[in-house]
Amino acid sequence: MADFTVSSEPNGGTGSSFTSAPATQDSFKHRLPDGETQRPWSGRYGIDSGDRRFSFSRNQSFKPHLLRNDSCIGINHPEEEELWEGHGKKEFGGTGNGVRNRSVLYQMASVLLAVRSGNRQVRRLALMISLNVAYSTVELMIGLLTGRVGLVSDSFHLTFGCGLLTFSLFAMTAAHKKPDGIYTYGYKRLEVLAAFTNALFLLFMSFSLAVEALHAFIQDESEHKHYLIVSAVTNLLVNLLGVWFFRNYARVNIAYRKAEDMNCHSICLHVLADSIRSAGLVLASWLLSLGIENAEVLCLGLVSAAVFVVILPLFRATGGVLLQQVPANVPTSAFNKCLRQVTALEDVSEVTRSRFWELVPGRAVGSLSILVKGGGNDHSVLHYVHELYHDLGIQDLTVQTDHV
Amino acid sequence: MTDSRPYNMSLPIVYGGIVNCNFVIKPWICQLLSKILVVLNEKYDRDAFLGCKCVEELVKMGILQLKMLIYSVFEALFEEPQCELKRIQMEDQAPSSSQLVEVNIDVPSTVATVSGSKVCGGAICDFSDSKTNIKDATERSSSMQKLLLAVLLCIIFMAVEVIGGIKANSLAILTDAAHLLSDVAAFAISLFSLWASGWEATPRQSYGFFRIEILGALVSIQLIWLLAGILVYEAILRIINDSGEVNGWLMFTVSAFGLVVNIIMAMMLGHEHGHAHHGGHDDHEHSDHGNSHDHDHDENHHNHHHEHTEEHFHFHGVSVTTHNPLSSEDPKEPLLNHSEAKSVSKATKRNINVHSAYLHVLGDSIQSVGVMVGGAIIWYKPEWKIIDLICTLIFSVIVLATTIKMLRNILEVLMESTPREIDATRLERGLCDLDGVVAIHELHIWAITVGKVLLACHVTITPEANAEYLLDSVIGYIKREYNISHVTIQIERQQ
Repeated sequence: MADFTVSSEPNGGTGSSFTSAPATQDSFKHRLPDGETQRPWSGRYGIDSGDRRFSFSRNQSFKPHLLRNDSCIGINHPEEEELWEGHGKKEFGGTGNGVRNRSVLYQMASVLLAVRSGNRQVRRLALMISLNVAYSTVELMIGLLTGRVGLVSDSFHLTFGCGLLTFSLFAMTAAHKKPDGIYTYGYKRLEVLAAFTNALFLLFMSFSLAVEALHAFIQDESEHKHYLIVSAVTNLLVNLLGVWFFRNYARVNIAYRKAEDMNCHSICLHVLADSIRSAGLVLASWLLSLGIENAEVLCLGLVSAAVFVVILPLFRATGGVLLQQVPANVPTSAFNKCLRQVTALEDVSEVTRSRFWELVPGRAVGSLSILVKGGGNDHSVLHYVHELYHDLGIQDLTVQTDHV
Repeated sequence: MTDSRPYNMSLPIVYGGIVNCNFVIKPWICQLLSKILVVLNEKYDRDAFLGCKCVEELVKMGILQLKMLIYSVFEALFEEPQCELKRIQMEDQAPSSSQLVEVNIDVPSTVATVSGSKVCGGAICDFSDSKTNIKDATERSSSMQKLLLAVLLCIIFMAVEVIGGIKANSLAILTDAAHLLSDVAAFAISLFSLWASGWEATPRQSYGFFRIEILGALVSIQLIWLLAGILVYEAILRIINDSGEVNGWLMFTVSAFGLVVNIIMAMMLGHEHGHAHHGGHDDHEHSDHGNSHDHDHDENHHNHHHEHTEEHFHFHGVSVTTHNPLSSEDPKEPLLNHSEAKSVSKATKRNINVHSAYLHVLGDSIQSVGVMVGGAIIWYKPEWKIIDLICTLIFSVIVLATTIKMLRNILEVLMESTPREIDATRLERGLCDLDGVVAIHELHIWAITVGKVLLACHVTITPEANAEYLLDSVIGYIKREYNISHVTIQIERQQ
């Protein structure tokens, strides 16, 4: 099989060695040999998950980096790496075609297994989901037995939210699967999808809260639902616990570096929005008891606006990844500069059809078509172009060289 | 809270009976309806009564749409190939009833010269070449016209219902109007995604905006799920509140009216034939004649089967049918037998946004049918109110089940998976069989939207092979066998 060794790199040392990797199929992909991790103190930077951009000092977006999850020192999560087999070749056929036909039961069983052996985030999320499910069941039972509408509606809302969180959990566990014949890029996109679904649900929620505020404004006082303080306070506490679990992501604008970031951010915002809503309801009840009229309308309106503002950046970012936009952290000027550098090579006459997209934050894919003059050696041109774009962070690049 | 929706959705045992004996009932319904059609045909067979003919056509269309709705429900739920074939046969019946002559012009594909297609001007050039651009534009504009008409119709009916509800002081009618509002929202989303997918590519969006269609369809389906959840919630609330008297007759009439509205909208969304479309197409005709006749040799078998993205030009009785060349279903022709291939290619041809709007309308009509039946039963026997919750649940589950297939397609596209109709193993083996090719790796095939497929791979060749010739042959092979035209191949020489 092809075995490429390159003696000199045209751009000077880049910190990674382009040696003959054991997986010879990855000829023009920069891969470290198996088992080597980049930063000794965080096992998360394996080959699979990791943002290799930070090993190159010439990178434009280089920042001294501490992952938000590293709240304690010396956390090593070898179980994440050992759980799945080593990085083998992608298998076409065989298991590839079987993936589509796996039964739901099998998938559920695998999810449960993964949760038991998953990492800290997965376990916390599972705990939170079970707490929410228990709480909403209790609320539903009490609501049905005593005939209070407010409790039933609240439990429905919680159940919807739980369903979404379960999808996020499933995405978290399923995202580590190896790429196979059908999903040639792997399953990491599931996390971005889960984040998008969460963001969408929160948008719907803010819209429905606005409608509820309007409804309360139109109706007269006697028909208002008087919210039960106890249930709202319990809801608030449960959600605050969830926010505490995911406190690393409790910001509105986050720079997404890994696929997991988007998912965890969306979960945190989901829980945060729920707690804002409960807090709003408590506030409304308190203001009503103080005798302020239209307190409900005000509070609901405020909550709806707050949730909308909080969720919009996440929605745009996940939407951008799903829409095959150019990687968000690379400025357009960098692309133009690379394009100019490639065109400036003596063999190259034109660069056409340059397209880039992001599979998940942290893994960018691109394709390029170059017009090369004469019957020159393509190899050096290919290598130069690969190196150039690798510095931008685009690891998977396919370059087509057309001879004029 | 007073009863906001005094009518409930009920499912009588009869429906369960229908579900169980669908093998008996389906052909029975089909026969009954075709008998009606025959009678209508015989009665109005003369050309003199143009007005009658219009009405007759409308009635036929309505009945046909009802049949198709029923079949769509069964098809979506049970995935029986028979249902699909029957539905397709019914769709074929409709154009043949208009007595049109079909002209099929077989123009060889101009993309056969591979070298011409490799080069395209500018670093960021359009994702599709000019031919497919025009075809996309016509398809898009026709879909947009349909959706726009549907939205207008919806708004008109909503206004009628709101006025009627205020006049009659009935909350039931007002809440049905609110339900129609959700329809308008779904159509608006589809319309927006259709319009947005035609935007030009920008430096930040190097593939253009085709993905917006898929995201819009996803949002639309989430809306359907949300509405089903809300209805289940309301049913439970009604059980708790025990809202007393329910007016069965009002339920029945309002939902019957809703059903008629939904059938009209399904008629507009589901089929190209609209009497309102005649004027709009006459001016497009001449530009489209020259550009849309591009298709493969297999198309001769297709000339009787009209897919929903095709244009029918009713111009002096001559209709020209065109076929979308970017269909990735054609490679299946040599593999599958005829009828299966046709049904597969037809089922996926509808524009995804129009299809999601159609699903919305379908879900609404299912629920209207349920409410009608429930209203009839409550009218007859007012004490059977507890069945409502069960019925609501069952109907909501049916509605959700109809969306599962489309959701699966959407998820597959969003996950960048290999499209179903392309066998990656076969492709890899076929490429390796070419002279001079040593190995293929990093093969990625993915779709940017339903129907537009891209491929990227690295090909290792022997040291003495001619790289240029091999590149051409690889690209030609992929284009010929699998009809994928957006291909990027990196040729590496083994050393």
